[in-house]
Amino acid sequence: MQVDALIGSRCASQRSEAAVDIVSLNKWYGTFHVLRDVDLRVEPGQQIVICGPSGSGKSTLIRCINQLERHQRGQIFIHGCEVSPKTRALHELRRDVGMVFQHFNLFPHLTVLQNCTLALRRARGIARQEAEDVARHYLERVRIPEQMGKYPSQLSGGQQQRVAIARALCMRPKVMLFDEPTSALDPEMINEVLDVMIELARDGMTMLCVTHEMGFARKVADSIVFMDGGRIVEQAPPLEFFANPQNERTRTFLGQIL
Amino acid sequence: MSFVDILIGIFDGFGVTASVTLWGMAYAVPFALVFGILQHFTTGPVRFAVTSIIEFWRSSPVIVLLFVFYYTLPTIGITLSGITVAAMALGLNIGGYGSQAVRAALQSLDPGQVEAGKALGLRRIQILMLIELPQAFKAMTPTFINQFIQLIKGTALVSLITLTDMTFRAKEISQLQYDPVGTYTALLVAYFIVCYPATIFGRWVEKRVAISERTQGEI
Ligand SMILES: Nc1ncnc2c1ncn2[C@@H]1O[C@H](COP(=O)(O)OP(=O)(O)OP(=O)(O)O)[C@@H](O)[C@H]1O
Ligand SMILES: [Mg+2]
Repeated sequence: MQVDALIGSRCASQRSEAAVDIVSLNKWYGTFHVLRDVDLRVEPGQQIVICGPSGSGKSTLIRCINQLERHQRGQIFIHGCEVSPKTRALHELRRDVGMVFQHFNLFPHLTVLQNCTLALRRARGIARQEAEDVARHYLERVRIPEQMGKYPSQLSGGQQQRVAIARALCMRPKVMLFDEPTSALDPEMINEVLDVMIELARDGMTMLCVTHEMGFARKVADSIVFMDGGRIVEQAPPLEFFANPQNERTRTFLGQIL
Repeated sequence: MSFVDILIGIFDGFGVTASVTLWGMAYAVPFALVFGILQHFTTGPVRFAVTSIIEFWRSSPVIVLLFVFYYTLPTIGITLSGITVAAMALGLNIGGYGSQAVRAALQSLDPGQVEAGKALGLRRIQILMLIELPQAFKAMTPTFINQFIQLIKGTALVSLITLTDMTFRAKEISQLQYDPVGTYTALLVAYFIVCYPATIFGRWVEKRVAISERTQGEI
């Protein structure tokens, strides 16, 4: 594809074909060693679910991928492009990496439609009419048809999170990162968001998803990663992961949440 | 001279009061925005410098600023008109306060807003202009209007650097008429006539902001 060619020519370190390639990543908050030698490879079209106890570094790990957090050692490649604190045009790289936050982080002063078109117009430079067409398309996909003129606060949590997913999809990202997208939602709204994510997975979107929704993980994940104490303790396909967890801590964790 | 005559006489100075106020705002608003934003973004020595400049304007007595600029600048070869000196001293003083409202409004925003902007691939300046400032303006507006009123009232000081504003006119009239009580009561009424509409306007804007906050609300 044209875009790939573009990225290839832009990246000094063309390393691998992986969508995301994380190589012995280490990060400290001050003296606190939050990520320890993390290696993780996500092939294009794969869905990876990350789980683990609170404070194990899951958020930190996926926030390093689009450099909302800086790492100190190791390397991260997105489609062969290294992202590091030194990367010059970080904003350009981030356009290809969608992110969905636990608390939605919609822009409260903009309508649903404007939330979706803002980056298309200002970051991608797409004309308003065209941007609105794209936004409508994705808002329909996440089943928010009639709410485009409303403000985020006029929507339910589940609707807001679906708008946030649409907003990220509008940029046509190559990878989508989710950080506990359903854990701030009332139970009756969790499924409407998970359904959208399942559809996205079925359509072949590359996804890295921090979640404790094990039903979702079982359904879509190619591989489940279990983190504890800043390390990846175990990684396996869902069947194996649930049926035969190798690590003691994984077993304890699964015992607690299942 | 009747009370109304005195009032009319005082309003001869309205032009000066108004131009010092408006020129003062022309200094205050850009100063508040630029320095509030700079204080929000900078760290270390740069932030220290920014803070020092803000504190200089904010913490110095306006009357002293007026005298210093009016009487000492000419001695080093800089001659500014009385209106300019007055607008600068009053405006930057008010702007110093305003900058704190700007900084506070920016800092009170949910950091998730900036993160969402970054994650979408917007540049930092775009995030400021398109996401942070529009939300911060709402929080800042009531403060700005209050400071506008402070500024109107503060202009009474410019009579001390011989500008014929409303207060200066009152002094003249009171000396001619030997009626300080009547004259200064009229002056009080004059400032009330000027400031009260501004207060009403301020309350209206505050209400509007509160309403739009209720319909748009938090994230
Ligand atoms: N900005 C920060 N400064 C210092 N320590 C931090 C910071 N952010 C996170 N931490 C610490 O790093 C560790 C990992 O945090 P992280 O948010 O990545 O965990 P998590 O696995 O996402 O947990 P949760 O399930 O609660 O979201 C925690 O112990 C946390 O206290
Ligand atoms: Mg987390």
